[in-house]
Amino acid sequence: MPDSGDTTTVQWDSALEAIERCYELGWTDGLPVVPPTEQRVGEFIERSGRPGEEVVGEIPERRREITVAKVAANAVMAGCLPEYMPVLLTATEAMLDPVFNLVGPSSSMGGSAILSIVNGPICKELNINSRNNLFGPGNRANATIGRAVRLVLMNACAAIPGVFDRSVIGHPGKYTYCIAEADTETHWTPLHVERGFSADQSTVTVFAGESPRQVRAVGHPEPILIALSDVASSLGSNMSTSGSVGDTGIGVRQGQIVVTIAGNSNLWKDWTKAQVREFVHARTQRSVADLKAAMVLKGDPEPGDAETMISLIPEPDDILLIFAGGEESNMSSVIPSWGPKVGSTAVTKLIR
Amino acid sequence: MHDGIHVENAGIPSATICTDRFVPTAQGMAKMWGAPDYPTIFTPHPIENLSREALRTRAEELAPQVVRVLTGEG
Repeated sequence: MPDSGDTTTVQWDSALEAIERCYELGWTDGLPVVPPTEQRVGEFIERSGRPGEEVVGEIPERRREITVAKVAANAVMAGCLPEYMPVLLTATEAMLDPVFNLVGPSSSMGGSAILSIVNGPICKELNINSRNNLFGPGNRANATIGRAVRLVLMNACAAIPGVFDRSVIGHPGKYTYCIAEADTETHWTPLHVERGFSADQSTVTVFAGESPRQVRAVGHPEPILIALSDVASSLGSNMSTSGSVGDTGIGVRQGQIVVTIAGNSNLWKDWTKAQVREFVHARTQRSVADLKAAMVLKGDPEPGDAETMISLIPEPDDILLIFAGGEESNMSSVIPSWGPKVGSTAVTKLIR
Repeated sequence: MHDGIHVENAGIPSATICTDRFVPTAQGMAKMWGAPDYPTIFTPHPIENLSREALRTRAEELAPQVVRVLTGEG
């Protein structure tokens, strides 16, 4: 049953008892949480430099106002350090931006996780991993910031599994989904600079994504991009299903994608991010014949169907390309969006 | 659910139809907005892929319930 979102104060006598009590109160993602004592939450609020009662954003449909204090409580529970607060507050602000349309990706049967991509000097300051095991475990900042985003969604935004989160198969990234771009290790323009910020600023970009699909290819630019585009064009993604939302005239739900490319930046010396995007955009498409066979498009087969292609991504700029991942050039990844771009658009906000 | 409850609160009779997979979600939203007894009409899931004819048939089956809810006899 959904709670009111009000603050609850409870007493406990030991840490283990407190952890169990947090389970009973329905505050966890299934893993144990750090008990959010008043003192610890207070430290996190103080570190944020903002008043606890300040409203970060709201979900009017669910009667929820998300305050700095609520974000702090969930940051504590997730195991964050106090200095992560500015990142988490920015991620929260970004996902509560109207164009992100949080009610969609946080409730949909399609099921997304909110990916946070951190850019700028703060990545080094907080040791947010952008290299080996990019989406994997082992690094506190990535693990706990991503987890805190999910706890904010569940506890503060009422994205309660089975009630307002109606995802059919869920998503491992819903436990934690936070990465950084290795923006000082490449000649490519960092994502946040492409999106209007300066290199010395730090930002969080939020994206409602499916799970990352690993792409293995021969370690040269064109084979990597051909393989990436092939994976991005697969049937069965959100982007290659029927366009029941937005511009239904196109026939598919055109959406944004995140692409991670890693390895040695020198491999890409003859390529700009814009050129990569053009290449991938032009190939992320599917024939009318394939879409009809999968009943994404209605109608009987017609001559020319095999040659008539439908793009799955609106524009090249809807490819969020970041330099991130391990040191091997043959592994990259594609993350299709949860929904059509009109249903949720990636948002980048400045970390203050 | 959200819109139906708000329309009703504005003094305009409303009837909301949900597919039956969303019973807990509908009840959760009704409670959240202080209207736990809001009379929701449930129909088998899904309706997205119904043909035009099947959708019309479904609507005809539901119409009497919609009338009862709108006239306060639901």
